[in-house]
Amino acid sequence: MSEQTTELGHSIKALADTLIPYILAVVAAFAAVGIFFAAVGFDVLQAYSTILFTSFRTPNGFVQTLLKYVPLLLQALAFTVPLTAGKFNIGGEGQLIVGAIGAAAVGIMFSGLPMLLLLPMVILAGIVFGGFWAAIPAWLLYRFGINEILTTVMMNFISFSLIDYVATEIWRDPTAGHPTTVPIGAGGEFPLLVAKPPLNSGIVLALAAAVIVYVYVNRTPGGYDLVATGANARASRVFGINVRVMFLLSLIVGGALAGLSGAIEVAGVHHRLIEGLQSNFLLLGIIIGLMARGNLLAVPFVAFFIAVLEVGASAMQRTMMIPVEFVFIVEALILLFVLLSDVVRRR
Amino acid sequence: MDQFQMQFVSFARLVMLAMVPYVLASQGTMLGGRTGLFSVSQEGIMLVGASLGFLGAYLYGSLVYGMLLAMFVGGLFGLALAYFTTTLKMNQFVIGLSLFFIGLGLSTLFPKIVIGVTLQPPLIPTLPDVPIPGLSQIPILGDIFFNQNVLVYFAILLSIFLYYLLYKTSIGLELRSVGENPKAADSLGVNVSVMRYVTAIVGGMLMGLAGAYLPMVYTGTFTQGMVQGRGWIAIALTFFGGWSPHLIFLGALFFAGVEILALRVQVAGVGVPYQFLLTLPYIATILVMIFASRRVRAPAFLGQNYDREKRTLS
Repeated sequence: MSEQTTELGHSIKALADTLIPYILAVVAAFAAVGIFFAAVGFDVLQAYSTILFTSFRTPNGFVQTLLKYVPLLLQALAFTVPLTAGKFNIGGEGQLIVGAIGAAAVGIMFSGLPMLLLLPMVILAGIVFGGFWAAIPAWLLYRFGINEILTTVMMNFISFSLIDYVATEIWRDPTAGHPTTVPIGAGGEFPLLVAKPPLNSGIVLALAAAVIVYVYVNRTPGGYDLVATGANARASRVFGINVRVMFLLSLIVGGALAGLSGAIEVAGVHHRLIEGLQSNFLLLGIIIGLMARGNLLAVPFVAFFIAVLEVGASAMQRTMMIPVEFVFIVEALILLFVLLSDVVRRR
Repeated sequence: MDQFQMQFVSFARLVMLAMVPYVLASQGTMLGGRTGLFSVSQEGIMLVGASLGFLGAYLYGSLVYGMLLAMFVGGLFGLALAYFTTTLKMNQFVIGLSLFFIGLGLSTLFPKIVIGVTLQPPLIPTLPDVPIPGLSQIPILGDIFFNQNVLVYFAILLSIFLYYLLYKTSIGLELRSVGENPKAADSLGVNVSVMRYVTAIVGGMLMGLAGAYLPMVYTGTFTQGMVQGRGWIAIALTFFGGWSPHLIFLGALFFAGVEILALRVQVAGVGVPYQFLLTLPYIATILVMIFASRRVRAPAFLGQNYDREKRTLS
């Protein structure tokens, strides 16, 4: 009995050790920006209550948060999976866009098909296209040893032109003012999970992806190779792991996850391809992945927290005319403080 | 001058004009890299530099103030990078990305605070051309090289100066040694930390100035994301130039050439959708990286932090 109690005590202590730096980082970041807010003359308390509680005051706020949560979670995973192998995927934005293009292309070209066929095709197209877009920098890394940070970023910029071409030249919707394609077939749309306020079932896929990735990385031999590669590539190579293949595969899986989020944006949210649908999901996804320190168990929780902040930030801009960027600065500061807590702990 | 000659002169003039942000940002990257600091925050620092360069010029009515403000903030970012990586020994990529985020956020925040959200953003005057007496009269060459704005001259002189500093002075030798083998440099009495702080701060200032160049020469105002990947391209360019000032200068001419060529072809209209022309600089970057991966070597200690109490490197 006493043994069990100490064990419980240990795990509580471990949990507290993990959580306390986060809590301190959040408080410190809010405090730092709050001082600035007050100096400029904004109502700090009202701003912060808007940021933190908009998601929980109304059903609509909560659904908005979940809708934001899906791409953020997937972008964070797209960054974190390659990070497990020690590689930085900064191309989630391009992979999302190209995944969305693939999903929209299939949804438009086969718009007559019934849902049973079309929906899986749309999702698969997103995954394959996103994976393909990541496979290019992954292959360049594999074949020539080229730094993946740069090439994945370059692929983002190329994808901006690609989506513009698709949305203005190939399947342009002439009635829309903004570059947009015609809608995909009704069979390609995600069924609604909740009718009012509308919540599509993309979140089920996103959560399933998070669980699968977590289980694979932490509970299978393949995942063990991945983690070992990230921990010490040289030792892993000696041990017989083909680390270059690990780099290659981890980046492609990351791209597939980002591509899935593109498909969900098209088939779940917009029902068409819209230029700019990638929003700032990539940056937030990276922030989430780094805040979670690459821990796949922590990513879904951190992603939810950031989704809450983001929905609150838009509300704050709408009702109080305070620029959303303030919240972005808060998020970047939280990240910096979380990272700093590692330094403090080391001493 | 016949038609072809005029075409050539105007093209070459534009290339010289477009080369500046690449040169400044890449030389800044090179400086840090030579002491082992690999920054990936160029894009963010350039965005902040563009934003504050514009605002400084708008508020104080002088482009010089805008440039100074952009360089000051760029230097602060460099200082932060050096502090977190050299003093606190944190991962360079992670810190570089964090600084990139902060720069990105601040770049759109400042104009919203200072000017507010307007349909018609205010304009600042663009940087005037300053012909150099005598030299600007030389046919063809005068127009290309000696009838430009001051930052074009600055970029050229900076590249020459850095070449001299790095390869012809003892400070340059010490600086290079820090990036190759900090332990050996340390044992010979070189202060590794000071070297890293100085190069990071100066490098950041150059990146800030590179950003300020964009509103001051191209647009007259700040627009969101206006750096358009030039900061990232600068990293590739630095690799391509083998971390040497003179080759970086040539590489910058190449990238500026691609940028101007894409614009020219777009205007001329050759039947290729303009979206594909817009991708040219990015595709060129990837190709250049493939080339550089084969032939060029980077400083041996690039991207790593030096801990003098550790026995081994890396």
